[in-house]
Amino acid sequence: MARQRDEDNFRSQVEDRLDHLFQEDSPGTTEQHVGLGEHPLKGLKAVMLSIEWEITDSTMDSLLNEIKNVEYVYSEDKIVLTFLQLIGAVGRYVKTNKARAHPDATRVINSVYEALEKVALTGGLSRAEKEKMLLEEVAKFKKLKEEVMLRKMEKKEPLISDVTAPPTPPPTPSPTPAPEEKEHLLAERPAIEEAQAKTEAQVRLAPMSPHEAFAYALEEVKEVIRAEFKALRAEIKLWRESL
Amino acid sequence: MAIINLKRKEVQAKIVYYGPGRGGKTTNLEYIYNKFRSRIQTEMVTIKTHGERTLFFDFLPIEIGRIKGYDIRIQLYTVPGQVKYESTRKLVLRGVDGIVFVADSLAVRRKENVLSLKSLADNLASYKKSILEIPLVFQYNKRDLLDEGIPLLPVEWLEKDLNSKLEVPSFEASALKGPNVVQTMKKIIIMTIDSLRKDLT
Repeated sequence: MARQRDEDNFRSQVEDRLDHLFQEDSPGTTEQHVGLGEHPLKGLKAVMLSIEWEITDSTMDSLLNEIKNVEYVYSEDKIVLTFLQLIGAVGRYVKTNKARAHPDATRVINSVYEALEKVALTGGLSRAEKEKMLLEEVAKFKKLKEEVMLRKMEKKEPLISDVTAPPTPPPTPSPTPAPEEKEHLLAERPAIEEAQAKTEAQVRLAPMSPHEAFAYALEEVKEVIRAEFKALRAEIKLWRESL
Repeated sequence: MAIINLKRKEVQAKIVYYGPGRGGKTTNLEYIYNKFRSRIQTEMVTIKTHGERTLFFDFLPIEIGRIKGYDIRIQLYTVPGQVKYESTRKLVLRGVDGIVFVADSLAVRRKENVLSLKSLADNLASYKKSILEIPLVFQYNKRDLLDEGIPLLPVEWLEKDLNSKLEVPSFEASALKGPNVVQTMKKIIIMTIDSLRKDLT
């Protein structure tokens, strides 16, 4: 009997302590949730959730189709259209490269979508606020592009000497587009890059024998593994230091 | 297994958040850490790939404080949900005292939930523990997506698929927005400490 009372007392003390530690000012969240209901973004949101789990040709095609649907609805809203173009551009890149795509690519797609959802669903946002959000996402997109280009160049360098191709001059930085040009460039660049990437791959692989091509592919795989381990070592080091 | 030091009057229990990939295990810990950082006064450790997926585990220690002369410490862990990291999941489960199974409510993830629960039972069995006996709580996550019109599994289906034999407490939750995240954690902590109390009292 006394033991039972003791146990109950112990349990209730634990409960009190937990209540005290984890007392929420407002249960759940203070953020106002706006449901999508029959909103035009509903289909796009469903696809976004599915690509979080799995990236396949089918899911990426659905993404690109949904973008077209939403573009049709928002054909008069240049800000929303630019958001959609950003998602479409990175989506096409991910579709082409799949597992070889830059690890930040899906993060950028998600980030752009979240911003788009805020712009489309939050009432009372001024045009300036919307533009500011758009510019933040454009900056993330540009950063991703730079990193993708950098990765391409890092991989290409040793191979250029292998195939004794003439050295190519470093790419000259393109001037910052004027606001009215931005949309056009964002829409066109991925297609251009895709074509460039195809040509580069053909140039790299064309003179290789199957054996060399296999060695090249193997080297690429090794590089990815090395990069993952390097990042992992750094994380473990940080973790150890924090203990 | 809990570390109970009777001489120093310390109890340390290990709770693992288990479930399919992208189900919200890390988000649970992040919510707790971000919301109560100032009160729990510990650091969350997380090891991720570059693609933001959990590679090894997340770790969040919580000091409950002194109760009846014992310093109670809880260690919350997550496992990587992706199928390929089975050996890491098994490793993280070593010495576990309580489990939160974070099920994904998305309709398309029904099969993954069941497979993940089976893997949990198998991995526990490899440590000679039974899923029927260990403190266990289900969390049906992502319920907020219902408002978005996203197809979700009805809770009755989730209960039938996962909890019909186990009959343990379950919570409908949204790890992203917060509802029932704390309640899930409190429940598993109390159940875990309950299961250990015979060694303490």
